[in-house]
Parts: sequence; structure tokens; C-alpha cells
Amino acid sequence: MTPRPQPALAARDIHKAFGKHQVLRGADLTVEPGQLVAVVGENGSGKSTLLKAIAGTLAVDSGEVRLGGELGYCPQDPVLNLNLTVDQHLQYFAAAHKLHSLDRADELLGLLGYEKYRETAAGDLSGGTRQKLNLTLALLHDPDVLLLDEPYQGFDWETYLRFWDLVDQLHERNKAVVVITHLVFEQERFDVLADLVDGRLTPRTAAAVAAKEHSNVGA
Amino acid sequence: MSAPEALKGTPSTRSAPSTPLYGQFPTALGFSVREQSRNRLAALLLVLFVPLWYLLMTSIAGDKDLEFKLYATGELLSVDGTHVTLITAGMNSLTMISGFVVFDAVRKALNFDKRLAFAGFRQSTLIGAKMLAIGIVAGTIALYTALALLIYWRPGLSGWATVLAGFVAMTLTYGSLGLLLGVLVKNDLEGFFLIIMGGLTDTFLQNPLGNPAANKPVLQYFPSFGPMQFSVGGSLGDTVMWRYLGFGLIWAASFAVIGLIVFHLRTRSRRPTR
Repeated sequence: MTPRPQPALAARDIHKAFGKHQVLRGADLTVEPGQLVAVVGENGSGKSTLLKAIAGTLAVDSGEVRLGGELGYCPQDPVLNLNLTVDQHLQYFAAAHKLHSLDRADELLGLLGYEKYRETAAGDLSGGTRQKLNLTLALLHDPDVLLLDEPYQGFDWETYLRFWDLVDQLHERNKAVVVITHLVFEQERFDVLADLVDGRLTPRTAAAVAAKEHSNVGA
Repeated sequence: MSAPEALKGTPSTRSAPSTPLYGQFPTALGFSVREQSRNRLAALLLVLFVPLWYLLMTSIAGDKDLEFKLYATGELLSVDGTHVTLITAGMNSLTMISGFVVFDAVRKALNFDKRLAFAGFRQSTLIGAKMLAIGIVAGTIALYTALALLIYWRPGLSGWATVLAGFVAMTLTYGSLGLLLGVLVKNDLEGFFLIIMGGLTDTFLQNPLGNPAANKPVLQYFPSFGPMQFSVGGSLGDTVMWRYLGFGLIWAASFAVIGLIVFHLRTRSRRPTR
């Protein structure tokens, strides 16, 4: 048997209940480097719970998560400090990631088009701009695996398109990206669409099904 | 490979391990102080409420003498009621302001701190910076409150210094309680009520003016007991009782340690890895 390359992300048999309500019932998710995966499902189906579990912000009842590189997680509701300005957020996270420069941050600010708010406190930003900062913080250290929970909420059309340019770049640079999405018309952008139904993930495309069955798709 | 790298001889494949752009401790300390000192309502309360509260309380106290028991010596001091009441009033406003400032800042930043910890911020660095910031802010509040006291009473330098030290112990205690509630309590109101009611009960019971039972032994088990004894002993009884200042600091340290443990638990990663 030839050894398979290590996946960027492997979540296995994730179970999570809130009280008696069983949200995740053995969800599996494997993402290879360079793969762009959409997690879709109805409201309350547990999409955000799954991402939180993988990111480690929520304790699960059972299951296992393995990461093949550094993780970036963009939570659904922006997690910011409303007293701090955009630049101060960047400094704080540069310190967290022990970054040697803020070049990537400058690039992201330019790409998402909110450089003019550098000196503005997060509490005074519009919802859309807060979301841009929320996304920037997840991407600041150029992670190998990205979990994005409805990352474009509140984006105007122009920014929405720029967001997809950004995702395309990440895709080309062999990053593994998981996006929670509701929008049906985005489907063709993804390598895999995974439906979260009854607490389990089911890949939708034939290619993904084949990949799951261990056949060597790319070669 | 650059010369310093070669000297270190690190086998790391990471590029250029020069110093990061921003150090974790100074960054966290600066932003924590900023966060806690940006509470405008608390600043307004400090500037306006404290002197006003002193004025109100002294007008209620009148100028009759009160008996205050010093536990270190067992003696019953006969003191000017106004002076004891001023110390109580100071402690009383300190508890609320320092508790409120720290609670509000810690609670609002908890999720953000969690995100920072997940991004690689050392939790111990975050905790250390937060605690030092609480110390700086608490010290400033105590200093201002002790200075405002001088408008109504000049107890002499050493007397004033003991009042200040008692005030610092109290702000640290209630700042730490604010930290503990900030990481435990879900809603603003719950936290505020606990701080206000706790602070009021605690400080008022120590004053023989408001509470005829003020000299009863049960009061030893309240956080303000030690600092109150220390401040009154030093400013009105010419006795400096370090042990009692220590009692206050033990309360502060206990609240802080429990609060920081909860903070540590709430900001750790829960990812199920094997």
C-alpha cells in the first residue's frame, strides 16, 4: 500500500450534544492541502458547532481532530476588542503569532479595502468592516488550514468578489480552506460540497465520494 | 544561514528567528491598561462621586465620638466618628469603582483573550499582563481616593500613608473580585449587583456608626476587615499593624488566583487531539 499524503485536516467521529439535543453524531471531515470545501446545511444543523469543535473553542463529547499545519479560524460573529483600533488588533495578533512583519496584514487590508479605518476603534466600525477585520485576524499568519464561518456576512458586492479573489489565491497556494455557506450559487467554486444532515457530513460531488473511497483522484 | 543563527546552532527549519515585531508581554500590558482605563463612567464616578460621597457621609456622621475596636491590641479606640466614616466612605467607593472597572474590562475581553490565546499568545503572559494592569489601575484609583480624602481630613503623613495602603489593599481585593466575576458571570447586571452589594455590605459593617455590631468578631471574616483595621489603627491609633494589611492582601490574592485559574480554563484549547 502506498502511503497517502497527510491530510491538512482530519476530523473523525465528532459527537456533540447540548443537553439532550444531539447536534453532531459522528461527523467526519477530511480536507487535503489545496482543497476548497463548503459545509452546507440548514439553520441549526450544527455547521458552526462543527467548526468550533475543530478550532478547539468548544469541547466535544467524543471524536478526534488532527491538523497538518497551522490553523486560522474566522468565527461567525466577529471576536474583536471594541476598545482597540484596527492597527492595535493587528499588533496584538502579530504579538500572538510572533510575526516579524505586518506585510501580510497590509496586503489583506488593501485587498479587502479598509485601510482608511486603521486608526478607528473596532466599536466604531460598521458591521461589514468588523467582519473584514475578523477575517484579517484569521489570515494574518498565513495559516495552512482555514476555517471560515460565513466569512462574508455584511460584505458589499465589491468586497464579496474580492473575498473570492482572496480564496482563489489561497487555493492556488495549496491552502486547505473550509467555508460554511448558505449560498447555492457559489457551489461551483468548491472542490467538495459537504452536507451536514442529522449530525453527519455527506460529500455531495462524485469526485469527493471517490476521494472518500480512497481512490487516487488526482493522479 | 546568518551568523547568529549559526552560533545558536538551532536545527529549526523556520526562517530568520530574529525578534518578533511586538513582544507579547509589553503588548498585552499596554492594551490591558488601556482597556481598563477607558471606562468613562468609572472615571466620572471616581472624579465626581468620591468627593461627593465623602461630603455626604461626613454630614451624616456628625462629630460624635465612636468606639472602634483594634483587634491587634484588643483596645477600644475612642475616635472621631467623622474620621472613621471618611475611611469607610473611601473604601466603600473604591470597592465599587475598582470592581466595576476590572469586571467590565475582563468580561468584555474574555472571548477576545481566548482568540489571542488560540492564536499563540501564552496564557501565562496574558494573565501576568492582565494582573499587572489591574495593579496599576487599582493603585491609581486608591491614590486618587486617598488624595481626595485630604479635602476633608489631614491625618498626617504616616496616618495618610496607612489609609492609602489600606485603600490599595481594598482596590486590589475588589479588582480581583471583578476579575473573578468577569470570567464567571454571564451578564453585566449580575456582576454589578454582586460587586455593589458585596462592597456595601462589607465596608458598611466595619463602621460602628452604621452598624452597632461593628466591633463583633464575625466581621473578621469580611475582606475589608484587615485594611480597615490597618487604616484606622495607623491614622487614628498610632499603631501600624502590618499583619492586618496582609489579611487584605490575602483576600486579594485568593480572588485573583481563583479568577486566573478560571481564566486559564476558559481560554484553553478544547480541540480533541490524540
